[in-house]
Amino acid sequence: MENFFYHLLGQQNFDFYSTFFSNAFYQLILNGILWTLGLTIIAAIVGLIIGIIIALIGFIKTTKRTGVLWQILRIIQIILKYIASAYVYIIRGTPTTVQVIFLWTVLCASVPSEYRIWVGGLAFGINSGAYMSELIRAGIQGIDKGQMEAGRSLGFTYTQTMKHIILPQAFKQMLPAFVSEFIVLIKETSIVGYIGGMDLTRAGNIIISRTYNAAQPLLIVAICYLMITGILTLFMKQLEKKLNSKN
Amino acid sequence: MIQIKDLYKSYGSLEVLKGINDYVKKGEVVVIIGPSGSGKSTYLRCINQMEEVSSGHILINNVDITNPDININKVRQQVGMVFQHFNLFPHMTVLENITLAPIKLKKLSKEEADKIGMELLHKVGLEDKASVYPNTLSGGQKQRIAIARALAMKPEVMLFDEPTSALDPEMVKEVLEVIKELAEEGMTMMIVTHEMGFAKEVGTKLLFMDGGKIIEQGKPVEVFANPKQERTKLFFSKVL
Repeated sequence: MENFFYHLLGQQNFDFYSTFFSNAFYQLILNGILWTLGLTIIAAIVGLIIGIIIALIGFIKTTKRTGVLWQILRIIQIILKYIASAYVYIIRGTPTTVQVIFLWTVLCASVPSEYRIWVGGLAFGINSGAYMSELIRAGIQGIDKGQMEAGRSLGFTYTQTMKHIILPQAFKQMLPAFVSEFIVLIKETSIVGYIGGMDLTRAGNIIISRTYNAAQPLLIVAICYLMITGILTLFMKQLEKKLNSKN
Repeated sequence: MIQIKDLYKSYGSLEVLKGINDYVKKGEVVVIIGPSGSGKSTYLRCINQMEEVSSGHILINNVDITNPDININKVRQQVGMVFQHFNLFPHMTVLENITLAPIKLKKLSKEEADKIGMELLHKVGLEDKASVYPNTLSGGQKQRIAIARALAMKPEVMLFDEPTSALDPEMVKEVLEVIKELAEEGMTMMIVTHEMGFAKEVGTKLLFMDGGKIIEQGKPVEVFANPKQERTKLFFSKVL
């Protein structure tokens, strides 16, 4: 125990000031926060868009109309369904790390390095999309099927009923799941160092390797993550409360 | 107005409707009774294609709506439906529930739709509830709103699928009163119900169904007074 605190607080050559300020390492941390937030936001937007598209493809009922054009539509619908399920299968069946490295070093090999954060965000977004599509699917299926029937019986098409009746209700139900997915995403971006990203975790690693001191940089990094996720959780709780009070 | 020819419907190997032939005239109020599992709700739900038919034809104003190439959404705008569990939209106010379809499908302005909505609310006696959300209403009030919502599209036919079965007993009457009023205005209606007194009073034609078939039909008063089929007699002996 004594040993633990010794390592945590007062290591031999360690000086808090020189570690974080005189070497300007605090800039690494601040820059890391920006990277982490940037990656997460890009990934969340990309993931949400992909997730909605994939979930909706899953709900397509292939057309029963006859005629050449309708048959072509039918074939397109079937192909889309196959692509969507292959995507979810591949993304959920391989490690995120592999996906991120693959996108950056193989598919985006010729992309200049200043776009690293965009490619990284895209990779995490593509990954998150598969999970978000499942959340959205569950959220939509959670809505009473009488709602779809009521909409259709009034003369709305399937798509119109989704847009005006099902999705607004489903979105509210999905909010808590979205928050946890967003928090997962924040933490997931910590592997961006594998492709040279300069996020919070990488910043911590760099400080450790330069100062030979692990405890304090890691603690600082962990506290930064906690603050980001904590603020987010608080904000979403408020939002949920507001939405619930509406009806 | 509605013609049903050789209607069959099965779910997998379970045959629910076994050959129904019927004709509904304009202004007629068809009440459908029968034991549970007799296929009466399924029959009703076939009329606006909420259930796809397995074989047979349904013609509304001489248009075969079982044809996959007709636009079923246009047809449904002409055929209002009221459900057992109301199925109001919980994220919208009462008035928005009623005006959603006219605004989006008939492209009415919000003002026009609101005017129609308020008239309908007046008709079902709930103008004061226009701006509340459905979860604050009683079952009877919800069902009256659901009727107003279906009427907002000015349908030619109204289908009622056990409209009072999910209601507390003291709320049944207020809903039946609204339906009765519609009948007096000459609305063509098909009503699946367990309210025998109501069926007798409001119906112009009664169908007794069992085992996926129409066993007996005729003027409600006559069928109630003098059922011809053994199955009908047995049913009445249990429910009356």
